[in-house]
Amino acid sequence: MSRTAAAAPGLSSDPGRTILPSWLKASGRTLVSFAVTLLGLAALTFFIGRLLPLDPVVAVLGDNVTQEAYQAMYKQLGLDQPLYIQFGRYLWGVLHLDFGMALTTGKPVMADIARVFPATIELASVAIVIGTSLGIPLGVLSAMYRGSLVDQIVRVVGLIGYSAPNFWLGLMGLVLFYATLGWVGGPGRIDFTYEFDLEPVTGFLLIDSLLAGNWEMFGNAVSHIILPASILAFSSLAYISRMTRSFMMEQLGQEYVVTARVKGLSWARTVWGHAFRNIAVQVVTVVALSYAFLLEGAVLTETVFAWPGFGRYLTNALLAGDMNAVVGCTLLVGVIFVTLNLLCDLLYRVFDPRTR
Amino acid sequence: MADRNDETGTRRCLVGRKLLSAAAAAALCAGAGAAVAATPKNALVMAWNVDAISTFDPAQVGEVVTNEILQNTCDTLVDFDPADERKVVPGFAERWDVSPDRKEITFHLRKGAKFPSGNPVTAEDVAWSMHRVVKLNFGNAATLTEYGFTKDNVEQTIVAGNDTLTLKLDKPYPTTLVLQAIAANRVSMVMDKKTLMANQQGTDLGNKYLATRTACVGPYKLTRWNAGESIVLEANEGYWGTAPGLKRILIRHVAEPGTQRLLLSQGDVDVARDLTPEDLKDLEGSKDVSIIKVLRPQLFYWGFNVADGPFSKEKVRLAMRYLIDYEGLGKTVMTYLGVPRASFAQLGAVGALDEKEGQPFKLDLDKAKQLLTEAGYPNGFEASVLFGTLPHANPIAQSVQQNAAKVGVKLSLERMANAQLFSKVRGREYQSAMLAWQTGVPDAHGNASRLVFNPDNRLEAKQTQYPSWRSAYQDLELNKQIDAALLEPDPAKRDALYATIQKEVMAKGPMAFMFQMNSVAGVRKDLKSWTWNGFRTYYERTAK
Repeated sequence: MSRTAAAAPGLSSDPGRTILPSWLKASGRTLVSFAVTLLGLAALTFFIGRLLPLDPVVAVLGDNVTQEAYQAMYKQLGLDQPLYIQFGRYLWGVLHLDFGMALTTGKPVMADIARVFPATIELASVAIVIGTSLGIPLGVLSAMYRGSLVDQIVRVVGLIGYSAPNFWLGLMGLVLFYATLGWVGGPGRIDFTYEFDLEPVTGFLLIDSLLAGNWEMFGNAVSHIILPASILAFSSLAYISRMTRSFMMEQLGQEYVVTARVKGLSWARTVWGHAFRNIAVQVVTVVALSYAFLLEGAVLTETVFAWPGFGRYLTNALLAGDMNAVVGCTLLVGVIFVTLNLLCDLLYRVFDPRTR
Repeated sequence: MADRNDETGTRRCLVGRKLLSAAAAAALCAGAGAAVAATPKNALVMAWNVDAISTFDPAQVGEVVTNEILQNTCDTLVDFDPADERKVVPGFAERWDVSPDRKEITFHLRKGAKFPSGNPVTAEDVAWSMHRVVKLNFGNAATLTEYGFTKDNVEQTIVAGNDTLTLKLDKPYPTTLVLQAIAANRVSMVMDKKTLMANQQGTDLGNKYLATRTACVGPYKLTRWNAGESIVLEANEGYWGTAPGLKRILIRHVAEPGTQRLLLSQGDVDVARDLTPEDLKDLEGSKDVSIIKVLRPQLFYWGFNVADGPFSKEKVRLAMRYLIDYEGLGKTVMTYLGVPRASFAQLGAVGALDEKEGQPFKLDLDKAKQLLTEAGYPNGFEASVLFGTLPHANPIAQSVQQNAAKVGVKLSLERMANAQLFSKVRGREYQSAMLAWQTGVPDAHGNASRLVFNPDNRLEAKQTQYPSWRSAYQDLELNKQIDAALLEPDPAKRDALYATIQKEVMAKGPMAFMFQMNSVAGVRKDLKSWTWNGFRTYYERTAK
């Protein structure tokens, strides 16, 4: 009798592994991998931050300060301690969701992130919705009509989306749609006039204005977000459509597609009903990656559009030598990527029965 | 980051600014038909890069943006006269008396004033506010310690009376200088002791509380600050003085100058504070926008570490001054941004040389070559120049580098984050560096006391608050002359003493001063009475 046959159904043949169900083990592995990734990221960022020739004391006090005051602040920031103690303290803080105080804003890093991140999530989410809803159909159409005018147009659009810098597109968009045509709102998340009437609930202006029942304000917020989101969506669209086209072309060359056509299935049904299901997993990965990059913060787009988001906060912190903020933000970026990877894994299970 | 090629982001930003300027110019022409927005009638809306704000504590604040906001929210004992910054006018003190020996100044404070918290403003609040600056010992403490106020004596030398405050000085300093340097400075801002002590953490005298808010009395009160987003000031309704012309001051953080220009052109802001020379030039002829500028007491200079190497020689330092194309740069890179200035005393200051005498240099390669030969460097030498992120630093450094190469001096340029630059310069870990310095006093003493005077040049003395120490420069004779000029009671003689010091420092000092900077703003023409001088912007005077 083989070992496999001897094992009870649903349990591993390894006696040492029979205690935990497979889903629990998988979750455990994922959690350990999650924790190790974040620990590594925290250590790397922390030690690189300490090695950089940026002086956090000068970032707090400015350069016009006496040596006595400098030394006092140096001690207050714990910089007189050995690096491993500083790191230990930092990790202890992180475990309590305390990333320390941002030197450049005088507020806790967590509070700063909680303030700037919704702006980026809002922008990235609108951008990814636009990018995905246009990018996938365009990619599929391009593959279906390979070599046709449609395909050529999609490829050129993709090429522009890839190669045109976002800040350039942003400023051209502002000049055309804001300054010349007056179709969209200007830089910033909302007109100044409305800013005072809104009590932040979620931090997402589109949602908060709806919660407040203020349609005029909602319209204003939409008019402000539509241009930067479209600019960001353009590059996502380019990436998503090109990858979708490539995946789809590979599928359309498979025998099952020919068989489906021979059996009389329409071209559209063959593509959308069969081929697309087979590329869904890959497309999900591409979309998730795109979204992760957008959530990291589009620094230049945020700068051009005076969008008070995460990318700009991180860049300013870096330039000012505010390492608490930099390390906190880097950890958050790590969490975003790991979380989106986990979500992708879950979606694989939905789309691909073989992975269940 | 999601924007591609972010590794070249900085360069792209610069390119982007030029492109945005060009694009905005096109929009001005093409967008004549576009609807122009309007800002609220009762508010001043400003676009400004306010990234630098990290606290509102007057004891700690050291940069321009926060200082301006504090000046409009926190009264000082006296104020700079808007029409002439060298004069002072009553502030929270309605008048003052000076003792015959000039060592005691008694300020008579306004009665009946209240903080926005409702607490009455007392003489004790005023004295305590100044004590805490010295006790906290941040950078601004030097403003008081320079005049003999120390942690040990401050409670005996800054004394509250019955609606009066008395400053007891250790020396007979010129009264006007003390008024400008202390009584009009943020160190004399009147803070709400009760509120701050109620929110004290440890022994911080309310420093952490003030990281995100103010607690003082002024024409406006800070009602909202979202770091990196916006600042809102609202008129202080119970203010003792004249009610401000506008109810709200709204400052939106806009880092990109081209975006500021678009907002200004569209009428979405009334004032834009960080426009580039290209934007300013294009807007000069606009029918809706005025370009307004005023000299400020900030000098952009090339500083040398004179501890060793070629820059330890006076003639080399003088030769470097002849490599600066003051005129050419003044007409190109620095148009709108500043004016050539080689003296350490800024134009407009008491005792400063005039425009011509204070800038005797011009680009002269032969002269530079001759001085280098006399200094023992006929074939030049190699050295590095550090500079930060100021937009004009890079083109100026490049211009100097090109001129230096013509006389055999190979300068390597190193651009870095400002925090890194300051760190290196404070540690004397540099050969030369280009950076800016701003004084808070419209008097030659303001810069003489820091940029030339050096009390102790030893490395271990760590007199890092003195740029002269950072340059490893000490001239005991000049130290004496500066002390003498400070205490000279006769204004004409005092001016003469400063003139001598300035000429001497221009010839051998450790810094080649290059430009005195302007404050420049694009202002919509429907905004009335925008009032400023080199030391203050008066929000309360603006109207629509």
